[in-house]
Amino acid sequence: MRNATEQDFDDIVMKNDKPVLVDFWAPWCAPCKALAPTLDELAEEYADEMEIVKVDIDANPKLAERFEVRGIPLLLIVKEGAETARAFGTMSRSRLDAFVDAHIGAE
Amino acid sequence: MADIAFHGDPAVKAQAQERLHRHVAAGTFVYFPAWENGNANVIGAVVEADDTPLYAQTLGYPVALAETLPKFVNDGFGEREDAAIFAEAWLARTPVGADLSRIVSQLVVELLDDVELVETIGVHPDLEHCRAEIVDLHRRALAGEMPDRKAWKALRLKAVAATDAVGDAPLDRQAGNVVEAAAWPGTMRTVLRDTLTARSSFGLTRALAEVGWTMEKEGQVFRIREKAEKDGYKAEFSGLERLLAILDADHPALAAGFRTRLERMGQSSEQCRAVAWRAIELMETAPIVASVPSPASVEA
Repeated sequence: MRNATEQDFDDIVMKNDKPVLVDFWAPWCAPCKALAPTLDELAEEYADEMEIVKVDIDANPKLAERFEVRGIPLLLIVKEGAETARAFGTMSRSRLDAFVDAHIGAE
Repeated sequence: MADIAFHGDPAVKAQAQERLHRHVAAGTFVYFPAWENGNANVIGAVVEADDTPLYAQTLGYPVALAETLPKFVNDGFGEREDAAIFAEAWLARTPVGADLSRIVSQLVVELLDDVELVETIGVHPDLEHCRAEIVDLHRRALAGEMPDRKAWKALRLKAVAATDAVGDAPLDRQAGNVVEAAAWPGTMRTVLRDTLTARSSFGLTRALAEVGWTMEKEGQVFRIREKAEKDGYKAEFSGLERLLAILDADHPALAAGFRTRLERMGQSSEQCRAVAWRAIELMETAPIVASVPSPASVEA
């Protein structure tokens, strides 16, 4: 799982050949911390189909503004340089899997 | 050795116990955070870091069991002294060399077979079918089979769809959440923690519904507390004592219901505690598959 910043976000996410799940988080956000192990596993599960990229909104406020992040954790799916879906708030592991499956799909 | 308690080495167990006990004795054993300013929770005390996978790896516990351990402690034991007793028993009663690889699925199956859950799900045939199939997959894993990723995934998506179809009744949806959470192999890091969390939410909702405690009453109490804090009402009391004093004085019927709610919440904690002790029982009876030669036999 990579971390993206305001400097490299476009290269890592918008120009990525694979779909990208972007996790907007912050160090003080307990639900974000709770979500982290789930995302670690999801990254392995979907390694062939997509990439997961994390964005710390405290360190990268312009990205939070650009994507109108109103609350975290916020998950965004970006395909071919465009946002195709977003999910806000805590979500069960199974619901997250279903969300990714619906928008990315995996064998 | 994966999932073999303490990797079969008594010294690993002894060091873990010594580290934990040091924090308990010094009064630096805490619920949260895991590792900060000399304070440590059940994980941090042993590995001296906020690192659950490291705990699992160092001690040979399945990562899903290690991931659930702080929940056992935090949700099951409201008094720090009791939490410390459990935390020390967790290490002390795990036999060196025990094969812990089956514990997670065993606990998940027991959570799914819970009478109250089965009763609630029973009126939704699709969801009940998913529950039974998930139990079956875990049982197959316990029998040594390795159900593949696609089987788990298909069942998981089916469970999510079945939950969506049960309607909006909170209890039914929460029952569905338990089934969904359990639709992962026992090797998945958060499967046990998530299933237990969902089961606790379901149990609490059911318990509160039984005594007629509703979201409206919850909101009413919340607003009363907010207003009292703003107005400085009954400021001679603090915390829960203050809230009960206000309710007793001005809303006696609500006070009685709120006390019942507190009792039921306590019982919910008891359920988590029961699962926590059950995990220890299962570890105690797990087969021993590894042992380290004693120093005497090494010398010989």
